[in-house]
Amino acid sequence: MLYAKDITVSLGSKPVLHGITCTAAAGEVTAIVGPNGSGKTTLLRALTGDIAHGGQIALNDRDVTGMQAWQLASLRGVLPQATPLAFPFTVIEVVRMGLMAGVSAGRNHLPEQALAQVDLTGYENCFYQELSGGEQQRVQLARVLCQVWEPTLDGQSRWLFLDEPVSSLDIAHQLQVMQIARAFAEGGGGVIMVMHDLNLTAMFSDKVILMKNGRIVKTGTPVEVIANEPLSDAYGCKIDLSRPAPATAPLFHPATVSTH
Amino acid sequence: MVALSDTLARGAIRGTDRAVLARRVSVFLIILLVIVSLYSLTTGAAGTSAAQALATWITGGEVSLRDRVVLLDIRLPRLMMGVLVGASLAVSGALMQGLFRNPLADPGIVGISSGAGLGAITAIVLGPLLPVAFVSLLGHYLVPFAAFLGGWGTTLLLYRVATRKGRTSVATMLLAGIALAAFAAAISGILVYRADDNQLRDLTFWSMGSLAGASWSKVFTATPIIILGMAAAPFLAKGLNALALGEATAGHLGINIQLVKRIAILSVAASTGAAVAMTGGIGFIGIVVPHLLRLATGPDNRYLLPNAALLGAILLIVADMISRVIIAPAELPIGIVTAVLGSPVFLWILLRRRGVLDL
Amino acid sequence: MMPKFRHAGWFVAALALTCLPVAGQDLHPFADSSRLVSIGGSLTEIIFALDEDNRLVARDQTALYPSAALNLPDVGYMRRLSPEGVLSVNPDLILTEPGSGPAETLDILAEAHVGLVQVPGDYSAEGIVNRVTSVAAALGVEDEGAALAEEIRAELDAAEAEAEALSGGNRPRVMFILSMPGGRINASGIDTRADGIIRMAGGENALPEFSQYRILSDEAIITAAPDFILMMDRSGGGDHATADEELWSHPAIALTPAAENRAVIRMDGAFLLSFGPRTADAVATLAAHLHGG
Repeated sequence: MLYAKDITVSLGSKPVLHGITCTAAAGEVTAIVGPNGSGKTTLLRALTGDIAHGGQIALNDRDVTGMQAWQLASLRGVLPQATPLAFPFTVIEVVRMGLMAGVSAGRNHLPEQALAQVDLTGYENCFYQELSGGEQQRVQLARVLCQVWEPTLDGQSRWLFLDEPVSSLDIAHQLQVMQIARAFAEGGGGVIMVMHDLNLTAMFSDKVILMKNGRIVKTGTPVEVIANEPLSDAYGCKIDLSRPAPATAPLFHPATVSTH
Repeated sequence: MVALSDTLARGAIRGTDRAVLARRVSVFLIILLVIVSLYSLTTGAAGTSAAQALATWITGGEVSLRDRVVLLDIRLPRLMMGVLVGASLAVSGALMQGLFRNPLADPGIVGISSGAGLGAITAIVLGPLLPVAFVSLLGHYLVPFAAFLGGWGTTLLLYRVATRKGRTSVATMLLAGIALAAFAAAISGILVYRADDNQLRDLTFWSMGSLAGASWSKVFTATPIIILGMAAAPFLAKGLNALALGEATAGHLGINIQLVKRIAILSVAASTGAAVAMTGGIGFIGIVVPHLLRLATGPDNRYLLPNAALLGAILLIVADMISRVIIAPAELPIGIVTAVLGSPVFLWILLRRRGVLDL
Repeated sequence: MMPKFRHAGWFVAALALTCLPVAGQDLHPFADSSRLVSIGGSLTEIIFALDEDNRLVARDQTALYPSAALNLPDVGYMRRLSPEGVLSVNPDLILTEPGSGPAETLDILAEAHVGLVQVPGDYSAEGIVNRVTSVAAALGVEDEGAALAEEIRAELDAAEAEAEALSGGNRPRVMFILSMPGGRINASGIDTRADGIIRMAGGENALPEFSQYRILSDEAIITAAPDFILMMDRSGGGDHATADEELWSHPAIALTPAAENRAVIRMDGAFLLSFGPRTADAVATLAAHLHGG
C-alpha cells in the first residue's frame, strides 16, 4: 500500500502541487492521467523521492523519508521518461545495473530473462546509445525488472513507478509493456504509472487518478474517471466518448490480450 | 527486420562480454608494467646497466659508487614516483569523468591544478620573504607543501560552494571551478609580476612537470597519501557506473550518490594533489588513459579504474624514459613529453567523436 | 654591562654565520679533478684562459665562449640540473656559479662523491679577480691563477681608468633593456650583471630604484630619462634583435634623451655580461660607446 498525504511541491515560490492526498494498493495498477502541466510527473517524482516535498509518504506502512537509498531500492523500481547515458555501455551492461540493488547476488540469469520480457533478446552487446528512443526505454524497463523481479518478497509487496512507459513505443510493444505491468500487479506487486494514453489506461488499470493544475479532480475506476464530464473538465475540450468513429477517420483500439 | 539485423551485426562485431576482455587486458598491463619498469631501470643518460650491476652484486663483486647512486638513488625512486603519479593521475581522471559524466573531465577540474599552481608560485615568489626558520624546516619541501595546500584548499572551497543541505551539485562545482581558476590566475599574475628572472624560470619548469626531483624521502611522503586516495576507487566503481544513468536513477538503484561524490572528490584531491605537488604539472594522462581504455574494454569502472592505474603508470614511465634520454645529458620536462604524445591522441579522440553524441 | 655583552655575542655569531658559506668551501685543490664540469659562462671562460680546458668534460647552456666550449656536452639549465645527466659524464669535480640546483640534484651528486665547488664573486672587478683565484685554487693551479688574476686586474684597472678619463666626470644614464615582450620594456635595476658593467664603464644605471629585472610602466621609462639604451645583440632575430625602429617607436622610449640621439648600443650578451677574462675588453668597448672616442 502506498499512502501519500498532503503532498505539496513548489518550484521556487510557485506552487506546483497543492496538498495531494492519494493511495495506491498493491496488486493493482494505478494510473495518473491529466493534461500537460497538471503535475503528474511532479507527483511521481515526489513519490519516488526525487524532489523535495511537503507532506508524508508511506510505502508498505513505512515512512519513506526515514529510509536509506538502498532500503528503498530493494522495495521499488523507477522508470523515468527518458534516460540518457553518459558513457557507451552495452545493453546488457545497462540492464545488469539493475542488479545493484539489494538482493542481487547470484542472479546473473535475470538480465537475459528481463530482455526477453521486453522483446530485446539478441541486443545484449549492442550499444545503448545507438538504439532508438523506444528501444532504450525498453532496455530501461528490463533494468527496472531486474531490480524488482519478484512482485512480492518476504511478504512485502514491491512497487513499480513508471513515468510514461509507453510514450515512445510502437503498438505491439506498448501492449507488451502494459501486459508486463498487469502481470506484476497480478503477482502481488503495486504499479503506479503516469500515462498520456487514455485508451491504454482504460484497458489496463484498476484505478485512475485524474489531475488538473496540481490537484486531483477525480479518482476512481476507469469507467468512472474516463467519462465525458471529468475528462472535458480536466482537458478543457469537449469529449464525447459515445460518438462513433466517422467513416473517414477510423478509431484505433487494439485487441487486448489481458485477463482484465 | 533490417534494423534488427544491423544492430545484431554491430553487436556481434563487438564480440562477447567486455568483462572478459577487460580482465585479459589487466593481465597484459601487469606484465607490460613489469617489463617497462625493468627497462626503465636500465635506461638512462649514465649508461649504467642494471643487469650488469645485479650480476656483479650477486657474484659478490663491488658495484661502483656511481652505479649504486644512479640505480638506487636516481632511477629507482624515479620509477616509484612515476608509477605512483601515473597511476593516480589516470585513476583520478577516470573518477572525475565518471563523476561529471563527461569523458573530457580531467583531474584538475575540481580546482586542483589552479590551486596547486597558485601554491607553487606563492612559495617560489614569496618564499624568500618567509622566516628563515620556517623555510629551512621545510627545505626542498616548501614548494610541494605549498602546492599540496593550494590544491586541497581550492578543492575544499569548491566542494563547500557546490554543496547545500548535503547535496553536491557537480554542475555548480564545474562553474565555480572556472571562476576560481580565473581568480587564481589573477593572483598568480600579480605574483609573476613581482617575480625576478630566476623565480620565473623556476615556476615555468615547475609547471612543465618533472620526475627529476624524486628522492626516497619524497616517495615515502607521497606514497601513503596517494595510496590512501586511490584506495577509495574500487568502492566508487559501482556508484560511478550507476551515475552514468543520471543522478536520479543512480539514487533509485540504491547508490548513496552524495557519499560517492564526496569520496570521489576527496580521493582525487588527495592523490592528485600529492602527485602534482611532488612533480609539478603533468597533463593528458588523466584524459587520454581512461579514454583509450574505454574504447578498448568499455566504460565499466570496475575494470576501468584498475586498468587505468596500470596504464597510467606505464605511460608515465615511458614518458620519463624519453625525457631522460632524448637530450641527454640535459633533461626534457616530462610535461612536455606527455603533451607532445598526448595532444595528438586527444585530438584523435575528439575527431572520432564528432557526430556521435553532439561533440 | 650584561646587555652589551649579549649584543656583542649575537654580533659575533652573526658575523661568523656570514663567513660560513665561504669558509665552508674547500678551496684546496681536489685530490682528483681530472674530469671537470663547469656551470656558468664565466667559469668556463676562466678555465679556458687558465689553459685547463683539457680537463673539461661538460658545460652548461650558458657557456658560449670560446667556441671550443660548444663542442662539449651540455648538461642544460643550471638551476635544473638532471642528476643522472651530470653523472653520465663521469665528473670528479663540478665548479658552479651560485644558484645552481635543484637541491635534490646537488644532494645526489654529493652522495656520489662528486666534488662541488660554488665559486663566489659579485659583478665587479674585484668579483672577477676572486673568481679567477677561486677557480685556480680548486684546480690546483694557483700560480697560473695568480698570474691571470694580475693580468686581468691590470686590464680592468686600465679599462676603468680609461673610462673615467673619457667620461670627464660625466656619468651618462644608461638603461639596459633585456627584452621587449609584447611591446613592453623589461629592463634592469641594480644587483644585476648589466648594472655592474654599466658602472664599470663609467655610466650610471637609469633605474636604481629596484633590483633585478622589471617590466616598466611608461612613466617609469620617461622618468628614468636614459641617455643610452643598452641591449644584447643576438644575431638570428628574436626579441633581443628588436629592430631599432621598433625601439624608437615605443611611445615612452621616444620621449627619452636616448631617442633624440638615436643612442642605442648593442653588444654580444656573453661578451658583455659574463664577468670573466674578457670583461676588461667589454668595459673598454662600452666606455667607448658611452663617452665617444
